[in-house]
Amino acid sequence: PDVRADDGDPAGDSWGIFTFLCAALCNLPALPALNCSEELGAGQSIQQTYDLTRYLEHQLRTLAGTYLNYLGPPFNEPDFNPPRMARAERVPSATVDLDLWRGLTDNARLAANYRAYSRLLCYLRVLDGQVGTAELRHRLSHFCASLQGLVLSIGGVMSSLGYPLPAGPVGPPGPPGASAAPNDFLKKMDDFWLLKELQTWLWRSAKDFNRLKKKVPPAVVTLRLEARGF
Amino acid sequence: MWKNSSLRCLLALAILCLRSLIYSQEIGSLGDPQNLKCVTHNLQKMLCTWDVSSRGRRGQTDFCYTTNDLTPQVCFKTKERRVEIPIPESSITVTIKSSGTATKEFVIHQKDISFVPITPHILSLMPDFPTSTLNLKWSDNGSVFPYGLDALWQIQILRKEPMEVVTQVTYYSKLTHEDVILSWNWTSDMPLECTSHYVKIRCYINATQFVGSKDWSDWSPTEVIPGKDTEPGESGVFPLDPVVAVGSDLTFCCVHEEDQRITNMTYGSKSYTMMQLSSRSHAIRVLNANVSNSSGTNVVCRLENAWEGSVVFVGYAPDTPQNLSCETPNFLIIKCTWKPGRPSGLYGERRTKYSLFERTSGRNVSCEVSGLNKDHVCDFPVLPAQKTYDFILGVSNPIGQAKSSLLVDITQRVHPKTPEKLTVTENNSTSIQLRWFINGSFAEIRLLCQLEISSSHSERKLQNVSTPGRKSSTYTAQVNELHPHTKYQFRVRCSDADHFWRWSDWSRGVEQTTSEAPPARGPDIWRERSPSGENVIVFWKPLSPSESNGIIVSHEVSCYLLDMLLEHKVVLEPSNSTEIKLGKSDCVISVVARNNAGSSPPSRITSVELPSDNVTTDQAVAVGNGINISWDSYPNMTCGYIVKWCHSSGSEPCSVDWQKFPSNTTSVVIKSALFKPGVRYNFSLYGCKSMGYQLLKNVTGYMKELPPKTAPNFIVEETSSDSILVKWEDIPIEECRGFFKRISSFLCKGEKDALKPRLSESGNPELKVNNITDLTKKSMKILDLQGKTSYQLELQAYTAGGLSPPNSLYVVTKEDSVGLIIAILIPVAVVVLLGVLASIFCYRKREWIKETFYPEIPNPENSKALQFQRNICEGNKTLKTLEMNPCTPNSVEVVETQSTAPKIEDTEMMSPAAETTVPEDGSESEMENHVVVSYCPPIIEEEISNPPTDEPGGSSQVVYIDIQSMYQPQIKPEEEPEIDLVTTAGYKPQMQLSISALKIEGHSPVEEELDKTAGYRPQANTNAWNMGTPDSPGSVESNNENASFGSPCSINSRQFLLPPKDDEDSPKPINTAWSFTHFFQNKPND
Repeated sequence: PDVRADDGDPAGDSWGIFTFLCAALCNLPALPALNCSEELGAGQSIQQTYDLTRYLEHQLRTLAGTYLNYLGPPFNEPDFNPPRMARAERVPSATVDLDLWRGLTDNARLAANYRAYSRLLCYLRVLDGQVGTAELRHRLSHFCASLQGLVLSIGGVMSSLGYPLPAGPVGPPGPPGASAAPNDFLKKMDDFWLLKELQTWLWRSAKDFNRLKKKVPPAVVTLRLEARGF
Repeated sequence: MWKNSSLRCLLALAILCLRSLIYSQEIGSLGDPQNLKCVTHNLQKMLCTWDVSSRGRRGQTDFCYTTNDLTPQVCFKTKERRVEIPIPESSITVTIKSSGTATKEFVIHQKDISFVPITPHILSLMPDFPTSTLNLKWSDNGSVFPYGLDALWQIQILRKEPMEVVTQVTYYSKLTHEDVILSWNWTSDMPLECTSHYVKIRCYINATQFVGSKDWSDWSPTEVIPGKDTEPGESGVFPLDPVVAVGSDLTFCCVHEEDQRITNMTYGSKSYTMMQLSSRSHAIRVLNANVSNSSGTNVVCRLENAWEGSVVFVGYAPDTPQNLSCETPNFLIIKCTWKPGRPSGLYGERRTKYSLFERTSGRNVSCEVSGLNKDHVCDFPVLPAQKTYDFILGVSNPIGQAKSSLLVDITQRVHPKTPEKLTVTENNSTSIQLRWFINGSFAEIRLLCQLEISSSHSERKLQNVSTPGRKSSTYTAQVNELHPHTKYQFRVRCSDADHFWRWSDWSRGVEQTTSEAPPARGPDIWRERSPSGENVIVFWKPLSPSESNGIIVSHEVSCYLLDMLLEHKVVLEPSNSTEIKLGKSDCVISVVARNNAGSSPPSRITSVELPSDNVTTDQAVAVGNGINISWDSYPNMTCGYIVKWCHSSGSEPCSVDWQKFPSNTTSVVIKSALFKPGVRYNFSLYGCKSMGYQLLKNVTGYMKELPPKTAPNFIVEETSSDSILVKWEDIPIEECRGFFKRISSFLCKGEKDALKPRLSESGNPELKVNNITDLTKKSMKILDLQGKTSYQLELQAYTAGGLSPPNSLYVVTKEDSVGLIIAILIPVAVVVLLGVLASIFCYRKREWIKETFYPEIPNPENSKALQFQRNICEGNKTLKTLEMNPCTPNSVEVVETQSTAPKIEDTEMMSPAAETTVPEDGSESEMENHVVVSYCPPIIEEEISNPPTDEPGGSSQVVYIDIQSMYQPQIKPEEEPEIDLVTTAGYKPQMQLSISALKIEGHSPVEEELDKTAGYRPQANTNAWNMGTPDSPGSVESNNENASFGSPCSINSRQFLLPPKDDEDSPKPINTAWSFTHFFQNKPND
């Protein structure tokens, strides 16, 4: 409580810094698990995850265009907006009420993101296996790899913030064949919803990470604040 | 016979008529049985029925029948009104007696019996939804008939609400005295799911022996295949995900809930018109379907709040694989390749699949082919102890299948893999060994390998090596006859030696440079005595790469005199000559080339030069690409001739070149890439004797003669009044560039003038031309010239190549002095003589002269003085002073410079012809383009003196309509004051002047003044012009906007009186002047 580095007194400035450094050194072993390095990781990995989310958003925009063209009309028509069918609920929906979503804790939101992308990734991989054209397959697998990176990245953010990884259905939700659509049209409808949900999720995740970024300040500041606490 | 039968028929008809008459009588009696009808279903028994009256309905009926008189009558009692009795052969007599009625007798002939087969029953009706096929099964009931018969079955299929017959077919069968289950398939053009399909059947048996009437059976009970539209809660588009061939006609239907309204149905992106099948089913028909895209064509049914769909895959049946070819690269697998032909247009699980079946072994391999490659490849394992393979390549997709077959002996279809690991090792400078590896077991065949040997200075060479094949092993080959110190590239490819099929690809190339060897021969040498004669210079030519066998590092030059070494010298590269001090003695010179591997054999030459007499010098010019040198045969030249020349002419040390020729040669053509046109070369022909070399002849030659570079330099050595002596120098050999033919001089009168053309080309008739062909002459005298005249002299040199540029000089001949003296003296003498003669004449006649010109008493008439007076009065009118003419006094008006310009304009504008009007256009933007009509400076003066509050004059109450547009200008509220003023600036009729003038009198003295001018007044409200004056705050920049109006218009003609050009040109300065005035006048106010 003595440490007031930013005291206005010019004579007390050097003294203050000295005291601060001493206090910091003294408290160094007492800092919980030397949080400074982890905090540094959290801030950075949140930024990276945010960047990756924005990149995926951009990537999906072009991919979705190509893929919907591949599905053919009416899927590539701009006004195509079918009601969400019951079976499309297999894909995790991002259409949760925004206030409800904001009311969640960071942990809960991150866990929801993590679960959603893990499942979306599984469906996307099934999709990849069915596509007829090599070029589209290549692009899909590229996107899958990026999305895999996002899942890992969210996992990293969670662990750096000290949250446990959700134990939920990280693996595939079951054999893809079992829940596969009974006909090609419904399969296309699933694909359409998958892309749509992905888009919504990415949009929302970008918002989430941006908020989180502001909440978790840069590493150096964190260190000082925490040190001041002692 | 025919007649007979027809007669019988007639008889029977007559009897029938008679009987019917009887029947009718019977019918007449009430209560009697009547209308006996007999029908057979099986041609063995018949069922007879009859009608009775109400009285006879109760109780039993006695029924008796007899076929003929011989058989006893059969009788039985029955309560029903139908009996089953056998069919008679010809006729049967029936007696029926109901209780309480009379006995009635009927005779029934066979022809009265009708034959109606039993109503068939559908045993089963099975739908196959994916193929939209119905399978119908029924029994033919053949066992009921005593003998085989032809049967016709009519099948009817119906659908829709209300039912419509879709199809009706007739099916033939033979009845074989036993019950047979018949089966019939029908494929619907509409998916069976779309709506219910109904099926019924009836039959007709063509019993030819039966004479009675035959009829179709009744229709069987209808069997139905219910459509999905009958199942509650069922919806969707049908057929579901079909795969069809291109060009098919397709029907799709949309089954939905009863209460759902269907919006539209699309196939791909196109909407189709729907037909209603039932209240829950609608269909569309797509004709001639095109190839679908890779994910299939979507058939979508859009309902009010749902989407239903199906995906149709339209493609082609697989093409027959073409160019099927199988070969083995290694005797482990067989690679079969083929061209797939037309793409099927189907992808994913519906793609075309290939399988390779080998008939001998019965082995089947399914092929995974990627659609990307043009050629498809499939591997089949090589089977032990099997050489011949009978392949069938099967191709299939959901639409169809195809196949292609190939019988192949793989020992004759060996296409080895690319040789790998090619290495090279050197044996010596001319021989290397190559090693390479081929993967595969070629133990059963011989391999033929081809080595490619290439180097930069030799042609590509191919060397074939045949070697017994081994199992995955390394092969070697030796390459000889290589050249030392040469960089070689080697590569190798292999094939089957016994049955050539295909070469493998070339292996990766390897490079090897062979090591050096001693030079193959001694260098070509020549020697020459130095100019002093003390030394001998030895020259040698460099060896070609093929002869040097390495890099020549030095030449060793030795000098022997009778096996005694006089001198030994090592000359390092790149020198190609050396000097040996020999004095006056001679020796045998030996030169050896040396590289890192060793020395060449020595080349020898003697330094002895035999004396030669009368050596001639010839001239030679190249014919073609070489210089021809010929000589007479010298029989004593035993060891040939040598032609030696220098590559550079002139004083500098030249690089000596030479060529040797055998002794029987008398003419040679010397060629060299170094020979250049216009350069003089000196060739020396030496003859070779055992004793030494003898100079035989010199030849001067040119590759090509060119015009001389310069003309000879010359000077004029002597000049006289009629001749000049010109001397010139020789042209240097380098500038001569050919053999000198002649020198031409051109002489012509002329001053120094740079622009003069060349004399030789001017064609001047006075041109004097002298040609000097005697080249030893170095001077020339030109005679017959004029004295003291400027001459232009030009000299040009000629070779066979042409003439040189001229060298020109001006020379002035000396003058002729005698002629000059005479020319001066004669006129002087004449003048003196005349003077003397005049003096004498005057002296002699002096009295007469005095009387005539100067008498002592002068004559007044002849007085010069009075004459002079009169001339003055008449001749000069300007001296008149007292002339009284009426005079208009001139007046000078002093005007201020600022107002001068407007004043002038005013008079112009106010001329009665210019009855101007200003378009009453309120828009500001247009006003910008308009021209300023400035009236007169007093206005301006007044305006400045008037405060702006005076502006709204009385005339502004009247709104005048624009003559041209005839509309009242719009007035925006915020712009109202301004617009008001502008509108008053419009046209005003000239005749109402007095009234309006009176009204405004008090406000604008300017207008008052203007009113006085006869009938004309300005068409613009001058007050308005003031809007833009700088004294109104912030209006400096708006000057132009307010001060501009349209072109003045005539009232009568509505034509612009001032041409548009004037609008632009003349009024503009007025505007500037006007605004300028204001600017200056208002400056103090600011």
